[in-house]
Amino acid sequence: MTTATATTPAHVPTSLENIHLRFSGILRSEWIKLRSLRSTVWCYGLIVLLTVGFGFLVAVTFATPQQTLSADQQNEALVRAATLGVNFTQLIVAVLGALVISGEYSTGMIRSTFAAVPGRLGAYIGKALVLAVSTFVIGLISIVAAGLVAVPFLAGKDVHANLFDWSVFLPLIGGAGYLTLVALLAFTFGTIVRNSAGAIAAIMGLLLVLPTVLQILSGLTRAVWIQNVVAFLPSSAGGLVFQYQNAVEAPTTTSPAQAGLVDLTSWEGLAVTIGWVLVFGIIGAVLLKRRDA
Amino acid sequence: MIEIEGLTKRYGAKTAVDDITATIRPGQVTGFLGPNGAGKSTTMRAIVGLDRPTHGTVTVNGKRYTSMRAPLHEVGALLDAKAVHTGRSAYNHLLAMAATHGIGKSRVREVIAMTGLESVAKKRVGGFSLGMGQRLGIAAALLGDPDTLILDEPVNGLDPEGVVWVRQLARHYAAQGRTVFLSSHLMSEMAQTADHVIVLGRGRIIADAPITDILAGATKKAVTVRSPQAALLAERIAGPDITVTSTPDGALAITGISAAQIGEAAAQAGVVLHELTPIGASLEEAYLELTQDDVEYRTEVSK
Repeated sequence: MTTATATTPAHVPTSLENIHLRFSGILRSEWIKLRSLRSTVWCYGLIVLLTVGFGFLVAVTFATPQQTLSADQQNEALVRAATLGVNFTQLIVAVLGALVISGEYSTGMIRSTFAAVPGRLGAYIGKALVLAVSTFVIGLISIVAAGLVAVPFLAGKDVHANLFDWSVFLPLIGGAGYLTLVALLAFTFGTIVRNSAGAIAAIMGLLLVLPTVLQILSGLTRAVWIQNVVAFLPSSAGGLVFQYQNAVEAPTTTSPAQAGLVDLTSWEGLAVTIGWVLVFGIIGAVLLKRRDA
Repeated sequence: MIEIEGLTKRYGAKTAVDDITATIRPGQVTGFLGPNGAGKSTTMRAIVGLDRPTHGTVTVNGKRYTSMRAPLHEVGALLDAKAVHTGRSAYNHLLAMAATHGIGKSRVREVIAMTGLESVAKKRVGGFSLGMGQRLGIAAALLGDPDTLILDEPVNGLDPEGVVWVRQLARHYAAQGRTVFLSSHLMSEMAQTADHVIVLGRGRIIADAPITDILAGATKKAVTVRSPQAALLAERIAGPDITVTSTPDGALAITGISAAQIGEAAAQAGVVLHELTPIGASLEEAYLELTQDDVEYRTEVSK
């Protein structure tokens, strides 16, 4: 019997027979891009640090109540400790979301991206998905960690709440969801403006400056419509998403509805914020498709 | 095969490419020549769908780039050495590009080895020299083992060894029956690499011919002559289409007459010759002649 000796060539070129563009590949590609930049690592690291830090601070400085709090008040205290950081980390995810695409425009990388994915929309959606999932996961981890840190300190002040009680956990998910939507909104701004400084300025203006300016105006004019506009801004509408539902409100003399004020529920706030992302997302997609890269 | 059909691209009021039609065939290296701003890059960008044509179509192997199933496998393009995120390492850049098509890590390592980037592959691209950036751009173009290779100014910033390597790469790909289309402003480089040349001037095709035709078409073939009796010789060979000019180093540059005819005339007149050198027209001269005509033509039009 003859023994067939296989001749192994010194160099076997990699088989490239069956390669083709695929959406799972685009997702992998965008994940590699996101994780291989220092700005991503910095932003996400800072988010975890800030969220946990604020959770700790809120819990430690929480004034020991004079009388026993209701269950809702105890839950609310924990939710506030876990999610207070979101008010600050939203600015970080806004920067990250804008950079994810404006960084490609400013460096020229976008041309390589579009050469690999000439349909462009696949890359756009892939980028948005990877950004959304990463931000949601990091957001949720940091918020839950902040809650876990806060629990023992609050318990020491006779405030007992179960982090994994649904009424407590839902707003924590909401906090991660809000961060995700802010990141996506900033991403659409980055797509439309194609410039890092411009996109970051625009999203900061929308999140920070516009609400303040409108609030001052409504204070001066006492115009109800201005307050109603404020209610539909992503910062206000989205802010409802991570609030404890059965929050004990201070008694008011007139109900908001009577005063002609819009009073959104958390779910409506979520819907409004998603609406913002969709509107600017579609504008971004149309421009991305039409413009020369 | 790249087919460009009535391609026009306007940026606002400026027409970068003005109704050009050309076919770039497989199995040979096609050079794309033209001064800065002639529209070479715009044409190449239109081929891979980065710029939308104002009019006309561009197809590669009968397909539009945007409708290809495996764009990186069909066309590999280096359009801009700066089309890379400066904060990312070369390896991760290539890995991300490869991932879109399901190309594995082994191929990424292969193109890194092919382009000689092993030692810097893990470094961030921001610190790369122009030459290393070019090599990375070429590595990205080769990732999908493309059937058509498009390189815009590939030797820009490369060291002499790199220039030779790009020339060999282009010749090698063409020899395998692939389509190779490269632009350059180094016309001497083109003379050594290209089989066919398309010359572009102000967005229009000035010449589209085999390189040998372009070279032969250059009319002004000169002869360099050195002689202690230069004035006498110049007198003897004077004629209608013949020009004699003195060069700064004391030689004569003579056009319109062959070296043999000059030698015979010198022998008859008893003129001593120290040098008699026919100078073949370089592609550079041929090219300058071509683009000059274009400029003159344009000046008349604008009157």
